Amino acid sequence: MELKDFSYARTILEQYPPERRFLLAILQDIQKHYNYIPRPILEMLRDYLDVPLSKLYSVATFYKALSLKPKGRYVIKVCDGTACHLKSSQSIIDEIKKVLKIVPGSTTGDGKFSLETVNCLGSCAVSPVMVINDRFYGRVTPSRVREILEEYGRLENEQTWK
Amino acid sequence: MEIIIDGKKCEAQYGEYLLDIARKNGIHIPTLCHSDALPGQATCRLCIVEVVEGSRRRVVTSCVFPVTREVEVFTNSEKIRRMRKNIIRLLSARAPKNEFIQKLREEYGLLQETRFAVDEKENCILCGLCVRACEEMGIFAISTVNRGIEKKVSTPFDEASDVCIGCGACAFVCPTRAINIMDENGVRHLWNKEFQLVKCQKCGEYFTTREHQEYMKQKFGEDNNYTLCEKCRKKAAGEKMAECYRI
Repeated sequence: MELKDFSYARTILEQYPPERRFLLAILQDIQKHYNYIPRPILEMLRDYLDVPLSKLYSVATFYKALSLKPKGRYVIKVCDGTACHLKSSQSIIDEIKKVLKIVPGSTTGDGKFSLETVNCLGSCAVSPVMVINDRFYGRVTPSRVREILEEYGRLENEQTWK
Repeated sequence: MEIIIDGKKCEAQYGEYLLDIARKNGIHIPTLCHSDALPGQATCRLCIVEVVEGSRRRVVTSCVFPVTREVEVFTNSEKIRRMRKNIIRLLSARAPKNEFIQKLREEYGLLQETRFAVDEKENCILCGLCVRACEEMGIFAISTVNRGIEKKVSTPFDEASDVCIGCGACAFVCPTRAINIMDENGVRHLWNKEFQLVKCQKCGEYFTTREHQEYMKQKFGEDNNYTLCEKCRKKAAGEKMAECYRI
């Protein structure tokens, strides 16, 4: 992956007064911009808010919306809540695992896709449900998985895309 | 005011915590996460008691329950024992081989939990007292990391912390001795970091780390006997006091 430029983080920080209560909002903005919380920015935040690094690390590891590892450009969330689970969401997860060669909670080598399982997406009527970034896919079947993923273009590393 | 604990009349101040009142009157309430120096943790839940006020009965954690009215308290009723047993079973599923948990299990006649897959080497019950101690020291080197079943106490990124001074306060307050601290050949190993130990200027025993000593010097000033171990410091203070009275 290319080396990211962290200078934009300064701009994000300065949108907020250096007060502790803005910690989570800042972290969310950073997550949105960089797709993860880079360590140098966490250290920058420590100096800006005057909050110990241990506290920041605690917060960053607590929330699922924040990630310390780079997330893919496309985050695939497969619902594994009760309704979706009964409609065999596991087979969808297995299919994605097979196609992208990643396990839930990890990212493809080229940084394009991340796979996550979530507990409910609130669309049980069209279960099983899958969301890629902000787009919903209902009544997903294992055979549709490949089709849907094709919409997002192939993996940059063709070999893993058999 | 006066409250009744297990049938015994006890003198209490307004706002005083139930646990403290019970202890003062020789009534035993088991605790793990309670420390007199760092009160108010209330995470281990072992110190639950039943508070009766008229027709109202409720279960509270005695370590953080301030007395504001004249109530009656039961520390060992059938209900409390039953609930406490469950708490011990849960703790025991978390840290099955820990000696302190084992002792509690024996005290309450419980068997080792076999229902869950457990980590036999786990000793931490995640009470957070160590994190509190580190914060009170003003160091902030450790914190709770992750959540749910992956929650643990650690330094940022599980690396040697650049702020840790190796004072060992975390290990000292830990009720289950879950923190790995090892002093060996003048070196202290703690939180993936190594610290040079320093000797007491009087008795010549290793007593703390260089970083801790520097920190004390910075915080309390040069003339605070920071080069002496705890024992020698106490002795020095005693001698000083004796000197005062001799004249």
